[in-house]
Amino acid sequence: MALAASGPSERGGGDNLLLATFLEKRENLVLFLAARLRSMATAEDLIQDLYLKVAAMEPGADVRAPAALLYRMAANLMVDHVRSAQRASRRDAQWRLETRVTLGSLDVVSEPAADDALVARQRVRLLAEAVAELPPQMGRAFRLHKLEGRSQAETAEAMGVSRKMIEQHISAAVRRLAERLRT
Amino acid sequence: MTQDGLARAQAAAWVVRLGGDATGEDGVEFDAWLQAAPGNRAAYRRALVLWCEFDARAGDVLAELTAVGAQASARPPAARRSASRLVPPAGRRRSALRWLTPIGGFALAAGLALAVLPPTVLKPATSTTYATGRGQHQRVALGDGSVIDLDAETRLRVTIAGSERRVALAEGQAIFDVVHDARRPFLVQAGGRTVRDVGTQFDVRQRAGELTVTVARGRVEVGSDGSGQPVLLGPGQRLQVDRASVSQLSVVDPAETFSWRAGRLVYRAQPLADVVADLNRQFVEQTVIADPELGKLPITGVIVLDNPRAVMTRLSLMLPIKAVPSDRGLTLLRK
Repeated sequence: MALAASGPSERGGGDNLLLATFLEKRENLVLFLAARLRSMATAEDLIQDLYLKVAAMEPGADVRAPAALLYRMAANLMVDHVRSAQRASRRDAQWRLETRVTLGSLDVVSEPAADDALVARQRVRLLAEAVAELPPQMGRAFRLHKLEGRSQAETAEAMGVSRKMIEQHISAAVRRLAERLRT
Repeated sequence: MTQDGLARAQAAAWVVRLGGDATGEDGVEFDAWLQAAPGNRAAYRRALVLWCEFDARAGDVLAELTAVGAQASARPPAARRSASRLVPPAGRRRSALRWLTPIGGFALAAGLALAVLPPTVLKPATSTTYATGRGQHQRVALGDGSVIDLDAETRLRVTIAGSERRVALAEGQAIFDVVHDARRPFLVQAGGRTVRDVGTQFDVRQRAGELTVTVARGRVEVGSDGSGQPVLLGPGQRLQVDRASVSQLSVVDPAETFSWRAGRLVYRAQPLADVVADLNRQFVEQTVIADPELGKLPITGVIVLDNPRAVMTRLSLMLPIKAVPSDRGLTLLRK
C-alpha cells in the first residue's frame, strides 16, 4: 500500500487509514464544525454523516493526507448543510420560534417548565449584563454580529472599520465574556 | 500573557474564525492548534459553548439589553431637583441610549424601510403634537429626562405644564419611559382612559378603538374618564379595553410588547390579519390578504422587521401561504 500518513495520524486502524484517522479526529471535527453551525448537536449529526461516507469508501484507497481530506469533507458537508438549512434554520430565517408552533390546526407545544423558564430568564439577564459591560466598540461589534445576526462584513460597514478589526473586536468580546461568565 | 490566558485568547479567536466560512485548510490548522497545548481544547470548548448559547438566546438577550438601556435612560440623575432638571446631561443620555440606537436609531437591518426621525428635545411649558407616518419611528426626549418612543402611524400631543405632564394619544402606540416626579404627575390619555404613572416604563397602544396598556417597570394607574375604580397595573401586567369598554387583565412578558422598538414584533397565537396590519404600518409597501379565512391563521413567533418581502418569505415558510407581487405591494394567497 502506498499510504503516506499526515501528521500524527499514523497509528492503528488496520488497512483503512482514513477511517482510523476519522476515529482519532472525531472530536476535533465536531469542534471544528460547531462554531459555524452554532450547535454541538448539529455538528454531531454532520460528523455522523461524515462517518457514513468514510465507512463507505474503498478501504485501500490511496489517501495521502487523511486529516486534510477529512477536514475538507467536513467543510463541504457543512457548506451543503448551511445552504439547505438556510430556509429552515431559525437563525438564518431570522424567524425565531418561541415555545410553540402553530401550523393551521396543528399545534406543537414545547413549553418549558416554570422553573426552567425562570432559570433561563436569569441566565439571559446574566448574558445581557456581561454584554453591557463590554467596552463600547467591542460591545457594539458583538451585538451587531452575534445578537442582531449581521455578517462580519456588514458589521464592519455599519461601524466604519475594517473587517479585520471587527474580527478582533468579536474575538476579544468572546474572550471577556467567557471569562466573565465562567461557571 | 499566561499559558492559560493565551489559550483563552486563541480559543476565542478560533471560535470567531471558524464561525465564519471555514475551509478544510482552516480545519487542519485548527486541528494542529488543538493538539499544540494541553489547555487549548478545554479553552475552546468553553468559548464554543458560550458562542452557541448567545446564538440560541440572541433575541432574549437583545430584548434584555434594550430593557436595561431603557432603565438607564429612565433613572433620574442625582441633580434632578436642581435648576438644570429640564436639560438632561448630554453624556448620561448618550450612554443610556447606546444600546437603544445601534445604527441610525431604529434601523436595525440593512435595507430596513423605516425612516428615522431625529430625536427632539421639547421646550417646557408648551404643547406639541408629534405624528409618525407609515414606516416611521420617532423618539421624543422630554426635558425632564422622560422619553417617548412613537411607533409607526402614531399621533400624540405632549403638554408640559408646571403641575403636570400630559400626553394625549390620539392613535397608535408608544413606549413611555417616565422619570417620576411627585409634583408633576405624568398622564397619558387614550381611548377615554387616563394612564397615570407612578415612575415607570410602559407601553400604550390605541388602535382601531382598542386600548392596551402594558407595564414593564414600576406601576401605573388606569382610570376611566367616566367613573369607576382605577385599575393599578404592575410589571408584566396588561390591561386591554375593547370597543365595548370591556376590560381584560392579563400577565405578559413585557419584553415582547416592547420589542417593536428594537425592530421586532412578537406574537403569540395572533391572527395573521393582525400581524399584516402591524406590518403595513411598518412598511411603505403594503400587503393584502386575498382570502379572509387566511387572515385567521394564528401566528406565534418573532418577526424581524427588515423588509416586507423578506418578512413574507419567512412567513410563507412557516404557514400555508405564498406572497405574490401586486400593484401596491404584496398579496397573500393560500399555497
